[in-house]
Amino acid sequence: MVEAILINGLVLGGMYAVLAVGFALVFGVAKILNMAHTAFYMVGAYLILIMSIMLGFPSLPSIVLAIAIMGITGRVIYKLFLDRVKEHPVAVMIISVGVAILFQEVLLIGFGGHFRGIDPFIHGFVEIGGIRAAYQQVIAIVTSLLALVAIRLLLSKTQVGNAIRAVAEDREIANVMGIDVSRICVITMGISAVLAAVAGAVVAPVFMVHPLMWLHPLTIVLAAVVLGGLGSIKGSILGAFILGFAETAVIFLVPMGAFLRGAVGLSVMVVVLLLRPEGLFGVVFEEERL
Amino acid sequence: MGSYLYRLYRGFQGEILAVPGRVIALIFVTLLFLLPHIIPHPLVLKIFSLAALFAIFAASWDFLSGFTGQLNLGHALFFGVSAYSAALLNVHLGVPPWATIPIGAIAGVIAGLLVGIPALRLRGFYLALVTLAFPIILIGVIFVFPDITGGELGLFGVDRLSGSRVLDYYIILLVATASILVMWKLTDGRSKIVRTGVILHAIREDEITARASGINTVRYKLMVFSISGFFAGVAGGLYAHYIRIAGPSILELFFSFQPIIWTIFGGIVTIYGAVAGVFILYPLVELVRLHPVGEIYRIVLMVLILIVVLLFMPQGITRWVRDHIEEICPRCKLINIRTRRYCRACRAPLRAEK
Amino acid sequence: MSRQVKVMLAVVAMLVVLMPVLVACPPVVEEVPTIRIGIIGPMKFTVGEHTWWGAQMAADEINAAGGVNVGGVMHQIELFKADSNELLSVVDAVSAMERLITVDEVDFVIGGARTEAVLAKQEVMADHGVIFINVGSAHPEQCMRLAADYERYRYFFRGAAVVNSRYLGKMIFALVDMVAGEIRQELGIETPKVAIMMEKAVWTDPIVAAAQAKLPKMGMEVVGVWRPSPIAADVTAELTAIKDAGAHIIMTAYLGPVGVTASRQWGELEIPAAKVGINTDAQSKRHWVATGGKVEWEVTFNFIGPVEITPKTIPFYTRFLERFGDFPYYSAGVYDSIYLLKEAIERAGTLETYAVIDELKKTDFLGVGGRVVFTGIDSPYPHDLVWGPGYITGLGIQWRDGELVVVWPDGRAVLGDKAWEGIRFEGTVDYKLPPWMVEFWKGRQ
Repeated sequence: MVEAILINGLVLGGMYAVLAVGFALVFGVAKILNMAHTAFYMVGAYLILIMSIMLGFPSLPSIVLAIAIMGITGRVIYKLFLDRVKEHPVAVMIISVGVAILFQEVLLIGFGGHFRGIDPFIHGFVEIGGIRAAYQQVIAIVTSLLALVAIRLLLSKTQVGNAIRAVAEDREIANVMGIDVSRICVITMGISAVLAAVAGAVVAPVFMVHPLMWLHPLTIVLAAVVLGGLGSIKGSILGAFILGFAETAVIFLVPMGAFLRGAVGLSVMVVVLLLRPEGLFGVVFEEERL
Repeated sequence: MGSYLYRLYRGFQGEILAVPGRVIALIFVTLLFLLPHIIPHPLVLKIFSLAALFAIFAASWDFLSGFTGQLNLGHALFFGVSAYSAALLNVHLGVPPWATIPIGAIAGVIAGLLVGIPALRLRGFYLALVTLAFPIILIGVIFVFPDITGGELGLFGVDRLSGSRVLDYYIILLVATASILVMWKLTDGRSKIVRTGVILHAIREDEITARASGINTVRYKLMVFSISGFFAGVAGGLYAHYIRIAGPSILELFFSFQPIIWTIFGGIVTIYGAVAGVFILYPLVELVRLHPVGEIYRIVLMVLILIVVLLFMPQGITRWVRDHIEEICPRCKLINIRTRRYCRACRAPLRAEK
Repeated sequence: MSRQVKVMLAVVAMLVVLMPVLVACPPVVEEVPTIRIGIIGPMKFTVGEHTWWGAQMAADEINAAGGVNVGGVMHQIELFKADSNELLSVVDAVSAMERLITVDEVDFVIGGARTEAVLAKQEVMADHGVIFINVGSAHPEQCMRLAADYERYRYFFRGAAVVNSRYLGKMIFALVDMVAGEIRQELGIETPKVAIMMEKAVWTDPIVAAAQAKLPKMGMEVVGVWRPSPIAADVTAELTAIKDAGAHIIMTAYLGPVGVTASRQWGELEIPAAKVGINTDAQSKRHWVATGGKVEWEVTFNFIGPVEITPKTIPFYTRFLERFGDFPYYSAGVYDSIYLLKEAIERAGTLETYAVIDELKKTDFLGVGGRVVFTGIDSPYPHDLVWGPGYITGLGIQWRDGELVVVWPDGRAVLGDKAWEGIRFEGTVDYKLPPWMVEFWKGRQ
């Protein structure tokens, strides 16, 4: 039982982590609560679906293309919609909700509300001590770790990364130092959308593809990111794994209450926040006066 | 008596007739009250009954999140708790609507306090995301006790508000008008009768200074949570008796987003903006829906209107309109119509001469 | 008044003035008298789409054949489509129903999917006194309301082919019994172990309770009960636990999207237990594509299949598949409902609501899904469908190589009920266990 919880929790947490990383990045840098993040994930999944199944492209090129398109879409959306109102954080959040609903409706009208599926890279499963995990789920864990490493490298080794960190640290000072803050935000949004599309490629084959698929992961992503501390990428991944383990434990310990997994995950988040209002890795701000 | 009436008339003239925004509001409310006589169509009555009900809901969100900056992404919780309480009492115990709706509203207050107390520890987006979690957790709880809550069916067969549609409409409209007036008065920073408006303003702008000035900010925040819960609860109770079912759909994420969309569209931190947002967007979408093509694209249309309005008037539509038709006197702070060049009371020039 | 004020006033006035113009839009001048039927459902989703398809097909056929004879005058059927959006918003469903009745002024409404929304729509139905045939939601409560207040809710009928979920439960037991028999024969396991994995919902609760009580008496052992949420996007952990428990059969009941996930992950992980029960989504051809074929070997209840339930079934099935490219399911119920409504109207000779209700109650109609007879007022579920051998029963279908084959009724007695003996429709084939499951358990012995 314990090993089953561990393995399944790891698998689930890996998938949540892929979804959460990009969201955490944008919040950390641009201070934008991008509610459309999981909608990007959905659009990424649909792009792959359109290219690989409807147009008959091979799977890898269609994934790469989908990721590229999403990278551009993310930047365009930031430029078009979010950049202009960035002084009003609530308006930004509402617009991102609007963008997500817009995506949902366009997909609903264009493709109907039917459930669809993307083929995994490799069919089949591995068996560890009698516990089975699909190859695709293993790929999700590896991807979440790779994404973490890649972001780490990007942030610490490249010039853009330095600029992103500078902006995340202190916008005004970064601006004074000659960094184009607006451009950095656009780039970050692009990276985040790319990560969402990667999630679409890696996670969507395990789940389902349909126009409402952004709603459930949205609560998961928000919970994971808040749990880890807003803005902390490391924290968000940890948060994702905590949720993964919590949900899996519910299923194994109270099978009759398996439907409560989401509620339990969110309750864990509420409890953690009440004990540590800034999340696990969040920075404690002194009460500031603006 | 005569002089009293005259003073009343003068007050009316000064407070309402001279302020264009209030004239519009007055005409609008009058039209709403005459609606069953102008257009006695049942669908129109249904749409405007629902709009009035949602107006309370949206205004109560604005009261909490707009006026204190406590961003609540789970406002459906208050609505849902109240709708469920009213429906439970009505379906299981046969309590009539005139009692269940106030009791439901009190349940909304309790929910408000339950969220409000932990909310004192959390700030900004953390609070927003915790509040978002509550209604979803409640859905889980509802499914644990299907015998009481009806599970995915909800509680159905709730008594209707009154015997007729027109009466239903008037009850909802009256309750809505009263609730919105109370909320508006409570938040009115210029009011000489209630001080809450000015205090809430102070807390939102600078909490530490407000505290230093001897304002018990904790008490005020909790008060706002419970008042907001109360009015969202009123809306929830009305909903249960109007749609005649209280089901889990009213706790879903989308239901929490709706009042926010309406309020932001109409104009946050105004109360009347929330009301205008509902009365413009909701009937518009329903109107578009009558056409087969409109039915397909109605939500796309709504979202596009929302985004465009926010991009060009990030303060919302009513504040944009207000800024274009009203001018506040720089000296005596009285509201004047924009066409005036000098203040109607103190004769100070409203704008610097060109 | 300044210009801006005038503009604002004009906008408000326009909103108010435009409303009656659009609402009171005069209907198109009619040459042929029509019967107006409202079709309501979540039109952007599979359920709504099928509701509309079934209605279209029936209406086109009836109109081509001359229409409906109402007291000697031929009427054409005119359909009105309303998107209830009920999977997302119950309020939307209520306004859509209101619109059909008060704006489109339909004589009858057919449709319905989410139970919460159907219950709310029943209120609108009762307020206006319009006949409403529900084809999507299977919950018994809708008919129990008639028993409680017949005067108010008598306009409601459960459409052909949607079986009351109490009977759905009985059907699942029959299917499980069939699979258990195969396991005993093929694998030599005397007491197969059953894992109950049903979505958490009011309609499945009695089935779960009955399963726990009944399965041991049927020579099976219950190893556990898992209740995922109807919208769960991942059930890997449940499936792992079920495999861990050594189950041979997974007894399912899903209406929600969890059904797709469950099929997909069950096939991908090759869980060595036969999946049998209800999985609504698995009744559509799209399910095969959505699961990448992983649904193969799963058994689910269905309303209709490519077998000769009645002489009308196969022709309908083929025509439907040709026209819409999908297997019929909800659509069969809508199709039959329109036909039986037509017959009731013709018998009544009028469109008057109460006369039509009286005739609907007397319905004895052989449709594509079986023989339709409604239950009486004295039944605990008035205006529901009579279920059992010789009436509407539903079928057990299995997915094999992209096709649906019918595996039940298999001609054997059901749980000792001899009435089922010999009921096996032309075209039915024998049930088969998933090959990986056979391999797994044979390897153990």
